[in-house]
Amino acid sequence: MASLPKRIIKETEKLVSDPVPGITAEPHDDNLRYFQVTIEGPEQSPYEDGVFELELYLPDDYPMEAPKVRFLTRIYHPNIDRLGRICLDVLKTNWSPALQIRTVLLSIQALLASPNPNDPLANDVAEDWIKNEEGAKAKAREWTRSFAKKKPE
Amino acid sequence: MGNVPGKIDQEDGFNDARPNLSNNTTSSDSAAKQYEGEVSSRVRARRTTSLVNNILNGNNSRPRAGSNISSTSRRKTSREKELAKEAHAKQLVVRCNETVDGGFLAPFGCYSFEKLDYDTTVVKNLIIKRKLAPFYTPLQDFDESWTRDELIKIVDGLPLHDTFDENLEEFEDVPIGNLRKSAYNELIDKSLSKKEQRRMHAKIFRARLYKKRILWQENENESFLEKKLEMRELGNKAINLKDSQNSQAKKNCHFPSDDLKYTLYRNGSECPICFLYFAAPFNYSKCCQQPICTECFVQIKRADPHFPHDEVDPTEPPTNDNEKDPNLLTSEPANCPYCATANFSITYQPPTDRETGIGGMPPDTYVYKECITAKPDASEPHVSVITSDTIRPDWETKLNKERSRLMRRSANATAIHISNRLIDPNHSSRRNTSNSVTPIQEESTSASRSPEPTINEIEDQMVREAIRLSLEDQDNRKKSKSRNATLRP
Repeated sequence: MASLPKRIIKETEKLVSDPVPGITAEPHDDNLRYFQVTIEGPEQSPYEDGVFELELYLPDDYPMEAPKVRFLTRIYHPNIDRLGRICLDVLKTNWSPALQIRTVLLSIQALLASPNPNDPLANDVAEDWIKNEEGAKAKAREWTRSFAKKKPE
Repeated sequence: MGNVPGKIDQEDGFNDARPNLSNNTTSSDSAAKQYEGEVSSRVRARRTTSLVNNILNGNNSRPRAGSNISSTSRRKTSREKELAKEAHAKQLVVRCNETVDGGFLAPFGCYSFEKLDYDTTVVKNLIIKRKLAPFYTPLQDFDESWTRDELIKIVDGLPLHDTFDENLEEFEDVPIGNLRKSAYNELIDKSLSKKEQRRMHAKIFRARLYKKRILWQENENESFLEKKLEMRELGNKAINLKDSQNSQAKKNCHFPSDDLKYTLYRNGSECPICFLYFAAPFNYSKCCQQPICTECFVQIKRADPHFPHDEVDPTEPPTNDNEKDPNLLTSEPANCPYCATANFSITYQPPTDRETGIGGMPPDTYVYKECITAKPDASEPHVSVITSDTIRPDWETKLNKERSRLMRRSANATAIHISNRLIDPNHSSRRNTSNSVTPIQEESTSASRSPEPTINEIEDQMVREAIRLSLEDQDNRKKSKSRNATLRP
């Protein structure tokens, strides 16, 4: 395996030494391009009090190519599908090499706070969200309680 | 929307991403050692004879007499393409005697070789004209507390090019044969289909080019180190040089003086994209005045040709890309990585206090002078602007190529689709016939039977399509004739 680019080393160091509140990201021992991530559900969102696990992978062409991120914890959200794939512009066409792991994870946290049912990935959830927002949010809260429970410290 | 192919990419990425899957180091290790031996023996050979050097410097691209005499013109163009790719790869070699203001004309190698697809001639010219910062050798880190001597020592230890990943997984089982020979047809498995053979040919070519590229750079690295050693020996000797040593020094005048090394890196800064420390001045984005090193700048390019991404209505079934009009394919100019302004471009203010190398004084004679001139204003009108398209002038050709490729593919798909519909009724009749009938008989019986109405319809459809195409053809011919007529009155 090729040596790890300086950028990845520096980003990792910063993530560990100066973590973003509510977000953790730790590289895997076997592959330093593969991160285990947790994101706390934003306050006043249906995901509040939930801790969501994600996986993040930095492809060979990172930072010219966006990191690949996926939810491992089940989540009821119009822009996240059953397999945990995320529909987020900065992970696709709007990726820029000036963005970082840190900023991407913050964007995902922001996506939890403000779902966008008009550009959906999970069609059924999006329809539900448009037709009956309160009901959909209740379901999201229920899923958060059952799948994204905070582990006891 | 869940079934759109594009969205599945991400999942695919994870398949090879899981850490415990990348566990094939042991198998490639022995190959690596073997290859290392090969390389070092080759480098040794270069010192005693120029044979290898000849080979590496283009003799390998000479078509071998007697081979491919009967090759068609189409094969020639694919050979030409290969030669162009080799020439491109050769241009990416960092050469220690080609310097501008303390930097080089080719990248250090922060990004993979396959991703260096910019126009090397354009970029080299821009660097020589001081319109784009040269490719500096990066420092992994920089510490303000370093003394002058410490910094010079560190700069002295810098390599010409980053280390190579010698054994890419991609080329693991690809034979490369003897790199000294230009022909490698014997490596191709003749039992494969034509298409497979072509694919194998392309893969072997890429694997060979990758190794050759490494050898070219290593060759250059070797002479760089040798010259460096000579310099050091000279430096250790007395200052009043004898004539012979003087000429030796002249030969090595491409090497920076200590003053230059110090000036270069003392006031450098970190590129916000690769996080490496480079000599200043940087290129700056025209829109938001953010610094970017040249190595990162040449990576930023237009999006690959794609269909416009439109807002999708969740209640409508997604349209397949195959059904879209190839002319809709677009490719937007690159955006600024910092502020997302369209049509990314940079400006560059060359240093006024160290014009060395090509178009300047020999780097070894550079003496640091306190510079009093005020820092020039970046918004000066004469500052030239370089866009991402400037260094990839072929983007439009590429877009059109992709369009016509897609058109051909959809035409093929239509043809296959129609022929499948022709065959299908046979399949259903096969299921209906009794076991006693052999497949051949079955075919003939189904053929002799009165065809089903759908076949008639399809035949009609095909005839109509054929007529339409030939009419269109004729139309086009007429048009071009009349155009020619107007051209030649």
